[in-house]
Amino acid sequence: MSENQPGGAPVPQPGPDAGPAQATPRGPDAVRPGGARRRRRISLGIQAAVFVAAIIAVLLAVDWQTVGESVFNFAAVAPMFPDIILIGFGNTLLYTATSFAVGLVGGIVLALMRMSAFPPYRWLATVYTEFFRGVPALLVFLAFGYGVPFAFGVQWPIPVVVMASLGLVSAAYISETLRAGLQAVPKGQYEAARSLGMPGWRAMVTIVIPQAFRLVLPPLTNEVILLTKDSSLVYVLGLAAHEFELTKFGRDGITALGAGLTPVLVAGLMYLIITVPLSLLARRFESRGAGRSRS
Amino acid sequence: MTNPSPASPAAPSVQASGVSITGLNKSFGSNHVLKGIDLTVAPGEVVCLIGPSGSGKSTLLRCVNLLEVPDSGTVTVGGFEATDEDVDLNAMRRHVGMVFQHFNLFPHLTVLENCTVAQVKVLHRGKAESADVAKANLERVGLAGMEGRYPDQLSGGQQQRVAIARALSMDPQLMLFDEPTSALDPETVGEVLAVMRRLAGVGMTMLVVTHEMSFAREVADRVVFMDGGVVVEQGPAAQVIGNPQQPRTQDFLARVLNPTDVEF
Ligand SMILES: Nc1ncnc2c1ncn2[C@@H]1O[C@H](COP(=O)(O)OP(=O)(O)O)[C@@H](O)[C@H]1O
Ligand SMILES: [Mg+2]
Repeated sequence: MSENQPGGAPVPQPGPDAGPAQATPRGPDAVRPGGARRRRRISLGIQAAVFVAAIIAVLLAVDWQTVGESVFNFAAVAPMFPDIILIGFGNTLLYTATSFAVGLVGGIVLALMRMSAFPPYRWLATVYTEFFRGVPALLVFLAFGYGVPFAFGVQWPIPVVVMASLGLVSAAYISETLRAGLQAVPKGQYEAARSLGMPGWRAMVTIVIPQAFRLVLPPLTNEVILLTKDSSLVYVLGLAAHEFELTKFGRDGITALGAGLTPVLVAGLMYLIITVPLSLLARRFESRGAGRSRS
Repeated sequence: MTNPSPASPAAPSVQASGVSITGLNKSFGSNHVLKGIDLTVAPGEVVCLIGPSGSGKSTLLRCVNLLEVPDSGTVTVGGFEATDEDVDLNAMRRHVGMVFQHFNLFPHLTVLENCTVAQVKVLHRGKAESADVAKANLERVGLAGMEGRYPDQLSGGQQQRVAIARALSMDPQLMLFDEPTSALDPETVGEVLAVMRRLAGVGMTMLVVTHEMSFAREVADRVVFMDGGVVVEQGPAAQVIGNPQQPRTQDFLARVLNPTDVEF
């Protein structure tokens, strides 16, 4: 290769920076001034040193013998299976799905009320939203679990209590998400649709809502993740065995199995089986929505 | 505007409607924006609306298809008394095309779908017929072959031409343009003005808010100068732009035609 090859890549300067990683110039990095590059290398080096030090500290500080027996004692938790999957995992999914369904329907109704031209609807929806966003979900569980039998003399089945409690709470959050999504669609979209002779509802259904939908998919997916975790709050109510969900299995496992926290770890891993794919999905929606959302 | 423009072969003849505006008032809160506007546009006439920013040009245009509801006064478009409480606004709007400064194309739909969606949903035309009409209009604005693209894959000038094709696909009898070239890169302004010039050539009624004085001079049958919510001066383009009588018109034109201190 000759030095004066036309269009050839600049030859790396021999020097302190010319490590193996710099042997081939890589796009913008190759043209950065040496000072900035050196600072970045120093910063990376410091971060790596802190990281290694932290790991060494943990390795030294932790009593691995005990941890092995009380956190990673997988042999002892075999009796949890298959019930933790068939009942616990299943119930967590059921509680999440039903409360999301209630939350979505309620959220749509509330969002429409918030945007209504009739003021009392707006006030009502605002009061509702502020109330349920400001009150701990745990209290709502207690209210439905203990308050409903007290007030009406009927005991709702646990799945209904969860669906109502979490559904009503998430409706408040979902309505805000939907409203923000609808309002994020530029007003000109609605006006352009109306100027083409579309009635208001048609402009919403065909032009505004499909664009808002792309915007709200990521936050709605996050809401499902939150619901998955919040369904664990049902543990404050007395549950029959067939109503146990993952957290209840984990808690009971601590006392029943003598495997320390291992049952909790197992339950935690099962939550991750649900939430991590949802999280990845949300991220995918996010990157896709960014592509085609502006006119 | 009597010079016969080289109309493209696909250009259909236009069934044009006029507009008649009388005593139009519009306020936003305490801001009295339109103060008793009277204005008529004859069928087939091209009227350019000029005036400083904030003078109410956009509001006036938006009152014509009732995107803004006037406080008082009447707007009659074709046979429709648009300001009548009982009028079918959607039926009226079908006959009035509108082109916006920022295009307002539907970003989730392709170019073709942008031009067919209202035909299908509003005029209840069949899919195939709608697509044929849309393609003819896209060809008319010089965008044949772009049907499958999305708006964000087009230049500003191309997007604005799609917006014109979208409006034309509804067979309007009147076209409203609100500063259609103000948001464009200078090099794409010409292609949009060329399309508008051709449209004027086939007899479309057009009400155009614009700062393009050479376009107004060349294409407009009449130029209307607005300031502070009133029509200050109107007449043939050569008269209003070339020899304005009112001091406010003279001031405005001096600023617009002298590009060193333009301030829109
Ligand atoms: N939707 C609106 N709400 C409140 N004020 C408005 C609205 N639209 C326009 N205005 C006001 O009306 C006046 C005229 O605006 P506009 O018609 O856009 O003027 P132009 O198009 O001539 O620049 C401005 O003072 C503007 O602030
Ligand atoms: Mg304007």
